[in-house]
Amino acid sequence: MKKLLTKIFSLSVKILPVLLIAVSGCSRIDHKQSALDPKGLVSQNQYDIFMLSVWITIFLFCAVGGCLLYVLWKYRAKSPEEAMEVPAQSHGNSKVEISLILASTVILVILAIPTLQGVVLMNRLPDPNDSQALEKYDLNKSAIEDAITVNVTGKRFFWVFEYPQFGIVTANELVFPASKAVRVNLRTEDVIHSFWLPKLAGKMDLMPGQENFLWFVADQNKILTKKDSEGKTIKVSLNEAMPSVYDGQMRERIFAKQKFTDEFEAVGGLFYGQCAEYCGNSHAYMSFRALAQSDDDFDSWVKSFQNAQNPNKQPSEYNPEKEYSKGSVVSFPDNSLGESNSREYRAAVKINKGQAPNLTKKGWEKAHSDDYEMGKQLFASLQCVQCHAINRTGLGSKGPNLTLFGIRTSLAAGWMRNDEENLSQWLKNSNEVKFGNLMWNGEGVDDDHPLRNLEDDDVKVNQLVAYLLGLK
Amino acid sequence: MATESIKYVTPDSDTKIETKAFPRPGQHTKGIVNWLTTIDHKKIGIMYGVAALFFLIIGGIEALLIRSQLWDHNMDVLTNRQYNQMFTMHGTTMVFLVIMPLSAAFFNFIMPLQIGARDVAFPRMNTLSLWCFIAGGITLNLSWFFTGGSPAIGWFGYAPLTDTRFAEVLGDMGPDFWIFSLQILGLASLLASFNFITTIINMRAPGMTMMRLPVFTWMTLIVSFLIILAFPAITIALVELMFDRTYGTNFYDFLEGGKPHLWQHLFWIFGHPEVYILILPAMGIVSEIIPVFSRKPLFGYGLIIFSGAIIGFMGFAVWSHHMFTTGMGIVATSAFSILTMLIAIPTGIKIFNWIGTMWGGRIRFETPMLFALGFITMFMVGGFTGIMHSSVPIDAQHQDSYFVVAHFHYVLIGGALFGLFAGFYFWLPKLSGKMLNEKLGKFVFTLMFIGFNLTFFPMHYLGMIGQPRRTHSYNEGHGFETWNQIATIGAFILGVGIAIGVYQFVTAAFNKKLKPAGKNPWDARTLEWTLSSPVKEYNFARTPIIKSRDQAWENNYGPKENHSDKEPLDDHGVHMPDRSWYPLVTALGIFGLVLGMLFHQSVDLNTGEIIRDYTYAIAGGVVAIIGIIMWSIEGPAGYHLFPKESEE
Repeated sequence: MKKLLTKIFSLSVKILPVLLIAVSGCSRIDHKQSALDPKGLVSQNQYDIFMLSVWITIFLFCAVGGCLLYVLWKYRAKSPEEAMEVPAQSHGNSKVEISLILASTVILVILAIPTLQGVVLMNRLPDPNDSQALEKYDLNKSAIEDAITVNVTGKRFFWVFEYPQFGIVTANELVFPASKAVRVNLRTEDVIHSFWLPKLAGKMDLMPGQENFLWFVADQNKILTKKDSEGKTIKVSLNEAMPSVYDGQMRERIFAKQKFTDEFEAVGGLFYGQCAEYCGNSHAYMSFRALAQSDDDFDSWVKSFQNAQNPNKQPSEYNPEKEYSKGSVVSFPDNSLGESNSREYRAAVKINKGQAPNLTKKGWEKAHSDDYEMGKQLFASLQCVQCHAINRTGLGSKGPNLTLFGIRTSLAAGWMRNDEENLSQWLKNSNEVKFGNLMWNGEGVDDDHPLRNLEDDDVKVNQLVAYLLGLK
Repeated sequence: MATESIKYVTPDSDTKIETKAFPRPGQHTKGIVNWLTTIDHKKIGIMYGVAALFFLIIGGIEALLIRSQLWDHNMDVLTNRQYNQMFTMHGTTMVFLVIMPLSAAFFNFIMPLQIGARDVAFPRMNTLSLWCFIAGGITLNLSWFFTGGSPAIGWFGYAPLTDTRFAEVLGDMGPDFWIFSLQILGLASLLASFNFITTIINMRAPGMTMMRLPVFTWMTLIVSFLIILAFPAITIALVELMFDRTYGTNFYDFLEGGKPHLWQHLFWIFGHPEVYILILPAMGIVSEIIPVFSRKPLFGYGLIIFSGAIIGFMGFAVWSHHMFTTGMGIVATSAFSILTMLIAIPTGIKIFNWIGTMWGGRIRFETPMLFALGFITMFMVGGFTGIMHSSVPIDAQHQDSYFVVAHFHYVLIGGALFGLFAGFYFWLPKLSGKMLNEKLGKFVFTLMFIGFNLTFFPMHYLGMIGQPRRTHSYNEGHGFETWNQIATIGAFILGVGIAIGVYQFVTAAFNKKLKPAGKNPWDARTLEWTLSSPVKEYNFARTPIIKSRDQAWENNYGPKENHSDKEPLDDHGVHMPDRSWYPLVTALGIFGLVLGMLFHQSVDLNTGEIIRDYTYAIAGGVVAIIGIIMWSIEGPAGYHLFPKESEE
């Protein structure tokens, strides 16, 4: 029995390291949410201090553990007789004790200094007029001066991103310029959440009744490089690393390049984040994404959002007193979509003042497919609008703002790919996809709710999908 | 038993009448009544231990369900709510119903023996704390069967998630059960702590000066002080929360001007000392075991005790390191960061001193020693990751990730549980009179050590690559799967190891194949090893007169002047108190009060108004008060034993 046990023990001691090496061989550190793969100034600082602490503790572990092993080996009782000997009964040695205390204090000071510097860095942007600090952190003056602000509001179980400088609101996908610092103000409307963006910023809680702050700035050099299959660092073009979001290129690129199921390597400018403070049933599902953009692409994205959320720029009813340039969108009554409904038409040529709106002629073309128009009606009639806004008023409503939903890369708070298949699955029975989500289980939603009756209604679902993904 | 007993007769006739009116179960009480009414610290210790081991199995099953759910991405072993209930119950159970009561079991059983006392200072109060603990454990687990099931709020119960406003099941009672069970458990811990402090300060045998106390007893004293200082904070927090939930006050309701931060401060000013409440007893146990198996006195006895006290004291000054990411500002986070780093120093001292103890010794690798060494190495890992978390920028990534899960399991399993298991293997021979099977013990250690590291070491890595805590599921494509599977396999190995260990402990008393232990099987050093195994009900036939630290060792190996003496036997022999029903009655009354409070609300279906009915709560309270009154007037009673000198 004893032999067997020692055999098992020694065998497992031999096998274990081999197993560990084998498994670690196929594991990497650049996973979606890896804090070991920092891509920004703040997270790099956090990573550096972490690695310092790792080396310190490995040193300590080897020193103390080595001592322990040495003692165990040297002073083991080699025979039953020796086990009954009485060694010298020494009670302590104050010189040894004091020197060990001093040594551990010194080690802690080594860790404490960068810690305190890191605390300040996390909480305050460097002064843009302090050239020394900018040089130290390798930052442009404009990166700090032109920093953008994002007000993040956490809700069960999704994220609202408001850009006060631009007057726009979006949800679950934070688009930001890679060259600028981003100030993030964190608020919550219900319980505590925590904004965790590992590759860029670490985390900060969203506390009810309090506004918290965090900031990050991406490191463009890191976004614009990647490791090839042999581990060499290679340059990536701007367009490949950060495809533009506003025209849907980012979405296409992500869908084409990566299987959602097995992706470690993101597009360089795509970052994953998650709620890190337990917030209720579906806490695990509360993730989000951050998409880095070049300055121009970011401006275009902001513009298209501003246009989409500006009530003055929405298609209005045809007015004979007005002149319409080519491409402008106007709505006309259209009873084929149901009583007293209207449909959007785009001017194919310049339309002069008072020119009769003859829709059968070449002058006007349908702006959207029939499914889109039907979906739009359904979006209102199925009560989707009660929770989801497709305009600026998204802040304060119950569900995520869906403005320009068609260019989003992900669905259901970053949980799945935003394509037709997933979206229709989500609309049919969101409870099966994300059990406990509030679209299915929220206040006022019961079995009679129209949303719950979509499961067998492929037609309606397809129309809704066409509408939502058509929001570009 | 070759002892002769007489009924105790007092000259005071009043007492005699009362004793007759409310008879206490006497010397020859047998069977279940004996266990229900006992006031013997050893039996209470055993019951604490058995109940805690039972809850260890329950909490372990919850852990294995959690691990099964995380085997692969998007698993559906449990729904998200069930999963959230599991980690809430697992955490609460392991902290309040396993580690704390296991420590209490050792405090109860060992501490009076180590200081040469016949019992604790207030034996019936000791019984009351046992029954309160069991009532608390039952209350918590009753929650499974009522509206909403057990709580899904995490063991930390962060406001405002606990508010009824955010309940995810209509009329969810889980948090109420959680609140009330923690309140009773707090009562149990407070009663026990006052008891232990009084005992250690007042009931030491002559000559047992404070600086001759065994380290385990010292740690008992420190932990008891921590409990009486830390528990009021959580009691207040829980009372406020109960008021918020039941009567609509606004302590934590931010929409009405309450402050969720308040809960976190109150919880962690309890919660951080609680960490030391969990770990210091294990440190005490290890400080007893290492000298015995190295055959040397503890290196730097004074410094070990002093560092224990410093840890306890500083434990109250570091609570906000649990809140680094809540936005406390630069100054507060920096201050708590530095203080947290400082607490690493006394902790390091302990490890240095344990190694110093082994230096130059004759080290035997028997099961208790293996667990103690496992404790040192695993606690070192947990301590080092703790130093990492003290640094705010590192914590900004680690907080609420699996890295933290790895960290505190290294401290609480690799530390506390390994230490407590070491204690079981070390002291069970004293308790049962039989040696445990050494081979099986080593097998259990091997399983636990391998299983534990397989489970929790990968979690460091999982946390770093971005797996958050308390998530019932993770998405595809994060690369979490492999390491989670290894962790789950490890968890089952650990579970088997613990199960075999528990089986071994529970059957120790009945297993006839085991060899008798004798008085001092390990050639150990402290006073309890001068007694026979199992210990007689009166502990010491004659009170010992202590001449030195490590008295048992000095009696065997020390110079003549260090040998202990004995006080002469009193003329009336050893006075043993009778058993009592009233601690149990009082605990039942408190249990009834709690159940009455839990179920006092109902909704009038016609008007929709809340009806409050306090009848049962009041009835429970009355029973508890009657219990206490009867307790005070039932009189001392008791009987006398005349043990011969060899019988102790």
